Amino acid sequence: MTARLTRRAAVLGTLAAPAILRTGLAQSAPIRFGALTPQTGAGGPYGPLMVKVIRAVADEINAAGGVLGRKIEITSEDDQTNPDSGVRAARKLIDVDKVSAVIGTWASAVTTAVAPLCWENKVMLFTVSGADSITKLPHQGYIIRTQPNSFLQTTRFGQHIAESGAKRAYSIAAQTPFAVDVYTRLGEVMKERGGETVGQVIYDASKSSFRSEIDTALKAKPDALFLNSYTPDLTILLRELFRAGYEGKKFTLAYAANTKLLESLPAEVVEGLVSMAPSPDINSPAYAHVKAILGAEPDPYASQVHDHVSLAALAVAKAGTDSGAAIHDAVRAVGNPAGVKVTSAVEGLKLLAAGKEVNFEGASGPCKFTPTGDIENCKFRFEIAEKGKYRLLSVS
Amino acid sequence: MENYLLAMAVFAGFYALMALGLNVIFGLAGMINLGLVGFFAIGAYASALLTVKLHWPLLAGWGAALLLSALAGAIVALITARLKGDYLAIVTLGFAEVIRLAASNEIWLTGGTDGISAIPGPWRGMATPFQFNLIFAVIVWLVVCATGLLLGRLSTSPFGRVLRAIREDEMVASVAGKPVLRFKVQAFTVGAGVLGLAGALYGHYNAYIAPDGFQPLITIYVVLALTAGGTGTMRGAILGAILVVFLTEGTRFLGGAMSGLKPVQIAAVREGLIGAALILVLYVRPQGLLPEKTRILSLETP
Amino acid sequence: MIAELTQLLINGLLSGTLLAVPAIGFTAIYAVLRFPNFAVASHATIGAYAGFIANVWFGLPAWVALLAAFIAAGIVGVVSDELVLRRLRSSGPMTVAIASVALTIVLENLVRFSFGNDLLGYDLPVLRDWRFSGLRVGPQQLQNAAAAAAAMAALFLFLAFTRTGKMMRAVADNPMLAALKGIDALTVARLANFAGMGLAGFGGMLIGLDTSIDPLTGFRVMLSVFAAAVVGGLGSIPGAVLGAFVVGVGEELSLVVLDPSYRTAVGFVAILVVLSFRPRGLLGERAY
Repeated sequence: MTARLTRRAAVLGTLAAPAILRTGLAQSAPIRFGALTPQTGAGGPYGPLMVKVIRAVADEINAAGGVLGRKIEITSEDDQTNPDSGVRAARKLIDVDKVSAVIGTWASAVTTAVAPLCWENKVMLFTVSGADSITKLPHQGYIIRTQPNSFLQTTRFGQHIAESGAKRAYSIAAQTPFAVDVYTRLGEVMKERGGETVGQVIYDASKSSFRSEIDTALKAKPDALFLNSYTPDLTILLRELFRAGYEGKKFTLAYAANTKLLESLPAEVVEGLVSMAPSPDINSPAYAHVKAILGAEPDPYASQVHDHVSLAALAVAKAGTDSGAAIHDAVRAVGNPAGVKVTSAVEGLKLLAAGKEVNFEGASGPCKFTPTGDIENCKFRFEIAEKGKYRLLSVS
Repeated sequence: MENYLLAMAVFAGFYALMALGLNVIFGLAGMINLGLVGFFAIGAYASALLTVKLHWPLLAGWGAALLLSALAGAIVALITARLKGDYLAIVTLGFAEVIRLAASNEIWLTGGTDGISAIPGPWRGMATPFQFNLIFAVIVWLVVCATGLLLGRLSTSPFGRVLRAIREDEMVASVAGKPVLRFKVQAFTVGAGVLGLAGALYGHYNAYIAPDGFQPLITIYVVLALTAGGTGTMRGAILGAILVVFLTEGTRFLGGAMSGLKPVQIAAVREGLIGAALILVLYVRPQGLLPEKTRILSLETP
Repeated sequence: MIAELTQLLINGLLSGTLLAVPAIGFTAIYAVLRFPNFAVASHATIGAYAGFIANVWFGLPAWVALLAAFIAAGIVGVVSDELVLRRLRSSGPMTVAIASVALTIVLENLVRFSFGNDLLGYDLPVLRDWRFSGLRVGPQQLQNAAAAAAAMAALFLFLAFTRTGKMMRAVADNPMLAALKGIDALTVARLANFAGMGLAGFGGMLIGLDTSIDPLTGFRVMLSVFAAAVVGGLGSIPGAVLGAFVVGVGEELSLVVLDPSYRTAVGFVAILVVLSFRPRGLLGERAY
């Protein structure tokens, strides 16, 4: 067995030789980032837009001369919204394409699965997943996320629900590990503001009918429903709430109630639905930019990946080299409050090249991170569906 | 690249092990098991929980995984003893879904859809990622070879011959005085044990497991692997598994050739090609790439 | 409590009617060709999309769109069988069944390639439910159930009274005898595929009318559809209907004692119970 092992090692050694040669040529070689997004599976509605934005930002940087005189090359892989496929796709990105950053993992399960690969290989992981557990992993600083964790989100959502005048909130939630925690937190926030939670039902999102779940919920006579769902099941819930004649308030999460959902449902069914989300900074030039790229109002994820690519490119420029470790070290330095405020990578790269400090503020917000990789603060946006279109209630 | 190839070799090993397990149940005894990912999951969770929460040593975890999934196999086999063919297919499919539901809902035990992370692996952390892959590739393929040899022995033994006889005609086998039920339960137990072992290895390699990792798609891939490789032969099972991993991974590299397409379209082409390639294999070699040598069973059955 | 149970029963019956249509399609193909054709999943999706094209792109009313769903899925069913599955039949039913799994992956991805993953909805109003003494019933569900019932009735009439229908039953009953009588097995196989996959498509669109459609529409309900066919007895059309009601009602009634997140599991436990007493399903394996 030992003999065979050595032979195998020898073969692999020869295979490794070109890789060493390649490092020698690194100065003219492109800088490689990987896009790891869901193109199929439950995240399928979001992934394609994310990749579009990632590529567009890279193209703009390249058109303006690249980073350190080198082009950015984006390799996109599909994680199939599945941790197993995600791990293999990430291996390909890391081992074959030699990317120094992985951008865009969406499902928390995929992010959790991919994260150890990233920190073991010293590759920076930029994610939009919100599960509290992610930044608690021993990631040595190799994870950064622009999505606030679910505790912070629920607090703000709960405040909004209470302030809308609701006294009896009921939670209808897809089965996730944080469904119960969200409900508990929601109850605390409601109580602080003179309301209460009157029950919850946790359902299996893979079913195609939820009539009985709705009956259970309405029996508790709630005046507000919190629909903690994904897009496909939310469509069904909204239809059935309409049929059931529910007239109370409806609150849900913006990633589930995207504009596609509004288009695919009759206006009267979604009327009055309030969507809540950590908000991109909709007044920022960066947000307008993402909107121009997509030709439509961006969802939070598309806004966030804009910032991911930009941060990664700026960090490479700041560090002067493109390794994952370099991005890891420099990613917080490009958000230096003492620097010149910039909202696009191209702008920031020019200043960095001129030896100035920059303070990047992106489409998702100010992009300042805690030591564990969570976002420090961010805005929240509340919109209400009226006549089949969203009207902005508030950004705060 | 070499690291990636090694990682894929490890994955091929998991699929090979699963195909071997399925081969005992389906290939030899003729019981269709579309719930194999359920046994894979039981093994993965058993070993992960025992090593992470109770700090058992790795080998003990793997052994426990093997035993527990074998036990689950025996129970499923006893419950479904009277069911045939297509009925068994649906019930086992349901079994796997129930396991996945339990893993998602029993958060106190399994961590729900968050899964279990930081599952220990042999020399993980001490070795470089490349060395770790190499170590694991060696372990997995040693296990595959050992299992393949053992099961190969089993299949040519009198036990294996009875299983084949049951597969071809249960009635004849029982008329010939063979306790058909006992043989079927034994085959299911052995196969499920191998599937559970594959699950345990998978968890410790990946360091992370979650209910989403145990979707019916894996069952489909393994069934396709066994069919493409050659149902009934151990070498066929291994070859088929390598083929499936080669197809699922190889199609990744076609992305560059399809630059005009949207990513979702590339993803669709990729998944579609995997299906198409397997249909092609069935077309060219309906009995699989390494078919079982046909024997005249009436002479064989005692 | 009684009102609650009645409501659950009504919900179960309504969702059972929807399940029944693709389940009949699945079982009809099984009756003639003797293998479980797992490609019904993708054909249900194809039907849903064909109906979408007819309804949204061409502005046709829902019932015309349903017809389009039936025909489109039927044609795809015949063509895909002709191109892919027919040649494999000589290799045994399990090989064909497995090839049908591969086929369904290919077809699902053809849909994904053409339409992407976005949710699409039909151009139909959503109606409020009617209420009778505390119970509620949706007019839309009733319409869908009526459409499903009409499709089933049409199939029964076809099998009972037309020459081709009788031929199909003959082949399902005893292929050997049918061949001796000069019935062309190939024509019957094509017909079975057309009708079976057509029904899958019809059912796929009915499910889509109730929800929204995406490339996974068919796949999502497939487990319940297979379960319905198996509970009723593979190959038995009345069995598929009965099975669909057992699964539909069983999944709803389980909510009384169990967490909704375990609904799928309960459906399968019910199947296990039924099959333990009747290993060949409720109505055995008679074709009609």
